[in-house]
Amino acid sequence: MPEETVITVENVDAGYEDVPVLRDVTFSVRRGEVFAILGGSGCGKSTLLKHMIGLNPPLKGEIRLMGDRIFGGAQEESARALRHFGVTYQSGALFGSMTLLENVCLPLESFTDLPPEARNLVAEMKLELVGLKEYADYFPSDISGGMKKRAAIARAMALDPALLFLDEPSAGLDPVTSAGLDRLILRMRDTQGVTVVMVTHELPSIFAVADRCVMLDKQTKSLIAEGPPADLRDHCDNETVRGFFNRE
Amino acid sequence: MPEVARLSREDSLTLDAGNIVTCDGAGEALIVELYRRSARQGFAITCRDGKGIVSRTLGLFSVDRFAEDPGQAVPIRNTHTSVQLGQAAVSIWKDICEQMAFLGELMVSAATLLARPGRLRLHDTMLHFERAGIDALPITLVIGFLLGLILAFMSTTSFRQFGVEVYVANLIAIGLFRELGPLITAIILAGRSGSAFAAEIGTMKVNEEIDALVTFGLPPVIFLALPRVIAATLVMPILSIFSIMAGLIGGAFVVTSLGVPAITYWQHVISSTTLNNILLGLLKAAVFGMLVGIVGCSHGLQTGRTADAVGRAATAAVVGSLILITIFDGVFAVLFYLLKI
Repeated sequence: MPEETVITVENVDAGYEDVPVLRDVTFSVRRGEVFAILGGSGCGKSTLLKHMIGLNPPLKGEIRLMGDRIFGGAQEESARALRHFGVTYQSGALFGSMTLLENVCLPLESFTDLPPEARNLVAEMKLELVGLKEYADYFPSDISGGMKKRAAIARAMALDPALLFLDEPSAGLDPVTSAGLDRLILRMRDTQGVTVVMVTHELPSIFAVADRCVMLDKQTKSLIAEGPPADLRDHCDNETVRGFFNRE
Repeated sequence: MPEVARLSREDSLTLDAGNIVTCDGAGEALIVELYRRSARQGFAITCRDGKGIVSRTLGLFSVDRFAEDPGQAVPIRNTHTSVQLGQAAVSIWKDICEQMAFLGELMVSAATLLARPGRLRLHDTMLHFERAGIDALPITLVIGFLLGLILAFMSTTSFRQFGVEVYVANLIAIGLFRELGPLITAIILAGRSGSAFAAEIGTMKVNEEIDALVTFGLPPVIFLALPRVIAATLVMPILSIFSIMAGLIGGAFVVTSLGVPAITYWQHVISSTTLNNILLGLLKAAVFGMLVGIVGCSHGLQTGRTADAVGRAATAAVVGSLILITIFDGVFAVLFYLLKI
């Protein structure tokens, strides 16, 4: 596993309007790994993710993506940081008035000068990667929840980002679809060389795809464990971590 | 690419990817495009693939799967006028059918409500009454006042030529009570509350709240539509009265400033305001209110499951309400003429 660090989160206080949900969170993500942010409901996973993808500034601390600060730096640095990643949201957040092809084409239209034919070919290839090429002309309302998530991944990968953030990718999916999505995440990592950060509390997915993870705790408002999921399950002394992995 | 397009079976193309270390989506698309053209045009490709980028790409994306021209992949929207006209006609017919079905369902629900009045959500009805009525009062008063003002200005110019500007008061009173008061208030209600009804219910549909109601065994028409329709029907006559009063004050403002004594103006207003005129105006207002409520709720319940569908439902609710208000206004005019009232 390469050791180059692509994301650093340093002494971050996460929260909204001066109300911290997490305090003094520090961790880093290495190139090419699938990294999971774990924790029970309300522990601040999604809040931390929103800080990492630039939606909300952290209350304190610094977040760097590929060395660029997403908050606190010059405007060009923030803009550069935003170009390093793609995101998929819990609901997929596809644009309902556009077909899947148009959804994937949108970032290509906005940020590249590729001619329309080339854009369409790139978009079709991204849909092919997630197994949805045949559904290119479908609207989001015409496809299933699992397909929406895959289409959202295709859209997030449209500009070949180095980092891919996934918010609850398996939420609301049946085990078979969820396992298919896990395979897709690994495939994206292996074929596209993308580093994946996923927020989840789905244990099967965590063990299937995550190389390393951090565990957040609502009670102490802090990061309580970091490491490969199997190690945390088998060797961690923390009661909350054991409870999470053993569903106690 | 134009040079590549000219290549034929006798030609060969050298693809030198020997020094390429990484390849993004656009690069992969270029590789696939070259091999696709090679398959179509018959020219040979000699590839130097030192780092295995080309073979990796061709392994990931089978060229056969991208046989058609990607330019054709964008869904073609038929823009032919005759097709669009046909589609519009079908859409209008479908809309009429849906409105009729909704009206039928609403009537049945209202009938069941008569048998069991306790099923009406009185709290919701009052809430919509407040939102559609009390909250709309300032804009209704302002528009009503300006309408009276404009009406007085326009008619005074003509009436003065005949020296009968005092009769502007009669025109304003009859016009506002019988026609313009209910009409302008209905337009305000359609724009303000009709669209809100459609958007609220449409958003509930998108969020599957309507599905939840149905599975609870709560008919959405009784639970959501009836309180709104009843509130709109009841609130319209009251809003109309306020709008008419504001219009009369607006008229008085202009007429008195042009030299007609205020007492004369109000005497003419009172003399031309018959009980018939007031009741007909209020009847029209109630019907217009009911139409706005029905169309708004109907479009809300027929919303699709996407965010833009909510916007379309709100627009359709306003447009539909305005069309129906105009049609019914015409029907009332003919009816009152035939009945000589």
